[in-house]
Amino acid sequence: MNGEANGGRDAAGAAGEDERAPRRVRASLTLRLSLLFAAASTTVLLALGQFMAGSVDRHFVELDLQLAEDKLELVRVALADIRPPLDLAAIDARLAMVLQGHDDIALRVDGPDGQLWFSNLAGAALQPAAASAAVMAATTETPGLTRWADPAIPREHRHGASSPSGGPPPLALLRWSYEGVTFRGLARVLPTNLPGTPAAIVSVGVDTAHHEHYLASLRRALWGFVATAVVAMGLLGWAAARRGLAPLRTLGKAAERVTAQQLDRRLPVQDLPVEVGELAAQLNTMLARLEAAFDRLTALSSDLAHEMRTPVTGLITQTQVVLARPRDAAGYREALLANAQGLERLSRMVSDMLLLAKAENGLLPPMANTVPLAALARQVAEFHEGPAADRGLSLEVRGDSQAPGDRGLLARALSNLVSNAIRHAHAGTSVTISISGTPGGAMGGVAVQAAADVLSARAPCDPRPGVRVCVRNAGDALSDETLARMFDRFWRADAARARDPESAGLGLGLALVRSIARAHGGEAGASHRAGTTEVWIDLPGFSGPIASAAGSSRPAEP
Amino acid sequence: MPRILIVEDDRTTGEYLARGLGEAGFAVELSVDGADGLHRLLEGGIDLAIVDVMLPRLDGFALVKALRAAGVQMPVLHLTARDAVADRVHGLESGADDYLVKPFAFTELLARVRTLLRRGEPRAETTRLSVADLELDLVRRRAVRSGRRIDLTAKEFALLELLLRRRGEVLPRSLIAAEVWDMNFDSDTNVVEVAIRRLRAKIDDGFEHKLIRTLRGMGYVLEAEG
Repeated sequence: MNGEANGGRDAAGAAGEDERAPRRVRASLTLRLSLLFAAASTTVLLALGQFMAGSVDRHFVELDLQLAEDKLELVRVALADIRPPLDLAAIDARLAMVLQGHDDIALRVDGPDGQLWFSNLAGAALQPAAASAAVMAATTETPGLTRWADPAIPREHRHGASSPSGGPPPLALLRWSYEGVTFRGLARVLPTNLPGTPAAIVSVGVDTAHHEHYLASLRRALWGFVATAVVAMGLLGWAAARRGLAPLRTLGKAAERVTAQQLDRRLPVQDLPVEVGELAAQLNTMLARLEAAFDRLTALSSDLAHEMRTPVTGLITQTQVVLARPRDAAGYREALLANAQGLERLSRMVSDMLLLAKAENGLLPPMANTVPLAALARQVAEFHEGPAADRGLSLEVRGDSQAPGDRGLLARALSNLVSNAIRHAHAGTSVTISISGTPGGAMGGVAVQAAADVLSARAPCDPRPGVRVCVRNAGDALSDETLARMFDRFWRADAARARDPESAGLGLGLALVRSIARAHGGEAGASHRAGTTEVWIDLPGFSGPIASAAGSSRPAEP
Repeated sequence: MPRILIVEDDRTTGEYLARGLGEAGFAVELSVDGADGLHRLLEGGIDLAIVDVMLPRLDGFALVKALRAAGVQMPVLHLTARDAVADRVHGLESGADDYLVKPFAFTELLARVRTLLRRGEPRAETTRLSVADLELDLVRRRAVRSGRRIDLTAKEFALLELLLRRRGEVLPRSLIAAEVWDMNFDSDTNVVEVAIRRLRAKIDDGFEHKLIRTLRGMGYVLEAEG
């Protein structure tokens, strides 16, 4: 499960399963926005409708009760006119007058002894017991009254409106039906001038039919409106979202045109709204990074292919020529030997190119250790003491500092520099590795350093801010082209010599030096002045104290 | 004769490795897939395993994990084509003892195999090494050949000590650079050749019997018998 091979297969298998699995439905952004619009507007419209219907209903109840109150007042006046003795006919005539032209009013007057004094048709439908019970209940304020209380009736009209202590006589609210018509009204105990029967229970109801009717049609209209509005909002929302999201589609189309061959294409930022524009700008920086990495990789692989072509051709030719004729054992041995050497060289090239590629793409291990540079330089100098002695060169290490980094990689870079210096030094001179470093000194930009060098006439190997490991040798003058290109991979000062594998390196040594320096956050540089060649690596300064004394000098062992 | 199992699915590599190791004096067996290799290793009788990482049926890491889980402790050397740091760490965490990144030189493999096999043996605390008429005093860091004192630099002495300790073995340049100078990279410099040449000038020049031999394209070997 955790191996390279299995890992690969697992990944492939997972991808296959993804394709086979039923695709999850992915809601489009447009659809989501339209549905959200619709839901939001439905909520608002429903609340508004509810509020409107409610307030109209409350208003109607108020009107009804006001009318009933008015009628009650008329009945009160009429009852006050009645003189003893009790004459139901007179009452009837008097109250009929009150009701003149009001078919929608129900009226019922009950004597205190339960005798019905007056009632029109609708009033008769009200149970006398109900009316009196309501009044009694209102009077005594028993909880039973709630059964009679119509929740639609405003508070000021409820039973509590007439306080038991003085004020208008007790009041009860009523609601009843007659022939399918709902009456809403009041019952009240009113005084009379009749001896023995000082009061009568008067119930007045108002026909609510046309109010109810109006309310019902209002509700219907509201529901209809809400339904229509929801559909309309959904559609409008869909159109708006579609239009609003148009820049995303533009972006998508632009992104579609970016391919490996056209990585230089960028997404249009100006034409897009701010939010999408930011996204596009970020995608553009991502594209720029990808393009740079892709270019590096392309250049690397084409360089590699180009450099490998010649030796591979050589190996094939050599092998086939040897095979073309029977040879003696020594002949085969020579051929195999040449093959082994050629292949080893190729193998080294592949490893070096891999290291270069990794360094350039930030794939090297973290440069976390503190590397004491003088110790490292002495180790490298010892490594090269043989070839140096061959050429009568002395190797010297001067100064000390330390830098955060990877010891192995720095050793490799320094070894390449020293090997290069030994190859190009005039025989009998000395090759110096100078280390200069300022504790805590941050590395200045290389260009700035170079400018400062020109101004102060300071040699590149002289002490400076930041950490520098500089290798100096006495050698022939280097052309400007050499100085400018010596760190490029596969670049050799002498093109003809490059073809001779015995004398030339792979042309990767200094390229590796620069890559390793850059991977450490530093840079590599070179200069030539008056017969002295100086090649160096700048490293970011280490902020800790320097362990060994700076300026110590110790020649390498002979 | 130490017995080595090679688990490698690439037939050319596997068979040539088997042949090379066989000619170097090892008894060699070859497995072409991971499950098969694990099975063979669990049967016992193998002193060292060379295991490719990319294997059919059971990859090299899983193989070693299973092997260690079963309590088998023989040294394991991984071969891998992917030179990623994560792979290395992973390889050693899984319980392998060493690894080589392809492409590698056969002499390098041979040297590593011998190092791993020797690791188990108790190291003799010798103070003197000698071959033929050459003698090394490890305490006083002194070399004498046929009674004549030879002046060597510290690194020359270290190089000679290495050749003597591993006499009869072909030592590739990369191994010499790593052991003597602690330079763990395969550079295209001729440093090792030069060092050998200079050492040879000191210990072999003027003697009939040459101790240090160059095996072209392979490395260097120190032998008592020419």
